[in-house]
Amino acid sequence: MTGYQTPSTRDSVNEWARRLPEKLLEVSNLRTYFFTEAGVVKALDGMSLEVNKGQAVGLVGESGSGKSVTAQSVLRIVPRPGRIVDGSIRFEGEELLAKSDDEMRKLRGPKMAIVFQDPTTSLNPVFTVERQLTDILTLHRDLTKEAASKRALSLLEHVGIQEPEKRLKTYPHELSGGMKQRIAIARALSCEPTLLFADEPTTNLDVTIQAQVLELLKQLQKELNMTMVMITHDMGIIADMTERVTVLYAGKVMEVADTSTLFKSPKHPYTEALLKAVPSVKQTRALEVIPGNIPNLIEPPSGCVFHPRCKFAKDICMKQEPPLEKVDERHYVACHLWRELKLEGRG
Amino acid sequence: MFSETVDSTRNDLYVGLAATLITTLLGVVVGALAGYFKGVVSDVLLGVTQVFFVIPVLLLILLFARVFQALVFKGLGLTLIVLILAFFGWSGIAFIVRGETFKLKEMEFVQAARSLGAGSYRLLFRHIVPNILSPVIVISTLNIAGFILTEVVVSFLGFGDPNTSTWGLLLNEGFPFVRTAWWVSLFPGLAVVFCVLGFNLMGDGLSDALNPRLRE
Repeated sequence: MTGYQTPSTRDSVNEWARRLPEKLLEVSNLRTYFFTEAGVVKALDGMSLEVNKGQAVGLVGESGSGKSVTAQSVLRIVPRPGRIVDGSIRFEGEELLAKSDDEMRKLRGPKMAIVFQDPTTSLNPVFTVERQLTDILTLHRDLTKEAASKRALSLLEHVGIQEPEKRLKTYPHELSGGMKQRIAIARALSCEPTLLFADEPTTNLDVTIQAQVLELLKQLQKELNMTMVMITHDMGIIADMTERVTVLYAGKVMEVADTSTLFKSPKHPYTEALLKAVPSVKQTRALEVIPGNIPNLIEPPSGCVFHPRCKFAKDICMKQEPPLEKVDERHYVACHLWRELKLEGRG
Repeated sequence: MFSETVDSTRNDLYVGLAATLITTLLGVVVGALAGYFKGVVSDVLLGVTQVFFVIPVLLLILLFARVFQALVFKGLGLTLIVLILAFFGWSGIAFIVRGETFKLKEMEFVQAARSLGAGSYRLLFRHIVPNILSPVIVISTLNIAGFILTEVVVSFLGFGDPNTSTWGLLLNEGFPFVRTAWWVSLFPGLAVVFCVLGFNLMGDGLSDALNPRLRE
């Protein structure tokens, strides 16, 4: 990460506004539950998300807030004992939850793909780099082995791997973390997906490598005119990479806004707390932490799920679940008190 | 004597290799399916594997060999022994493959392959099974020795194919004359020892060689 920067300083938002927004992904009221022996874990409980074509959208929240489950639900690869129990996921105007397994399988890869957090475990340890890449190519495209290898080579060049010919023949354990993540990115992009989920793609990398990988993702997104959903807990990455953000907490949406708006004038106490938990160079005060932990998702708190950790919580917060209310055309918040609260932004 | 021992080598290796080939294929397929899928099929496969794992194999092999030789497949000879050995010998591999599959199917690289459109069978046999092959190959190598040894026991006890020369049969024939003509039993016996030792060492070597982390 290269310091703190709000997107308002760049013209990406204006550029986006000029384009006609075309909805690519529309998730509404999604409920994904995990049926464990201890009880039903409500990982996503009425989640919604909208992504326009060509946009980079952020999905932010603490561990366990349901960020990754959102990506898994859209791709319909939620691991057992998880199941999507309710809601709608529309992609390019079509309802994904109505599709058969086989139809979904054909969408994964050419239409949507995901880059996982840890490249050490997301690459098959017994495959060479070449095979990691060609396996998908031969699956979705009618390519000969030679053609697939050629494409693998150009993919490696594309993601900035030095000496790509040599690397094709190596195994994942012979490569560094950054290189592995580049290969995982190359693999995700091999069939030129319309929508890419990046699930904390830099969390397991060194800081310097992080910046490189983020830069690569940004550049690829522009080049391929790809839509990207950036999943992270790092508000710095959000500021750097995205145009619009959805703040998730305990499987529910707390706030949705353009990234610059969210940083300047957050309306939800949780968003404010997240922003205050980010260190900055100029900062002289101590870093503020959010007290407590993410709640037990088997028996979530009554009313607003955030109320046990919210310093502004009132009676109504314990009793009633706040709906997602409109602040303005592009800004929504789920808090009873957003009109009265004076929250501090940053940047 | 020497030529008979040498000639038996061919037959014994045939028994060991053929039985191993069949058990490995069977074990991998059964184990992989039982480990990957959930539900009735996998429960049934696991049950069958467990049954084959706990029954006293040697006794049944002897029984089967005798019954089948007398009744049904008279002309099959050594191949009958191979089939019987294979029929009773696949459960060990199936267990290992099942366990490994169970563990590997939760790994992120499987999820990653799934997220890129791989279907169940592709995931199982192209992504998961190759990860299990090195232990399977090592165990199969050890199995070769095991099957040869079992065949020796079967023939020595006189339940083998009387018309094909094997080390067990030589031992069986030489045993009554151990006091007067010890070499008749000794050399086939030594052949068994070296053969089994050889395959065991080979299994050991393979387990090092197949470990990609030890590879340069």
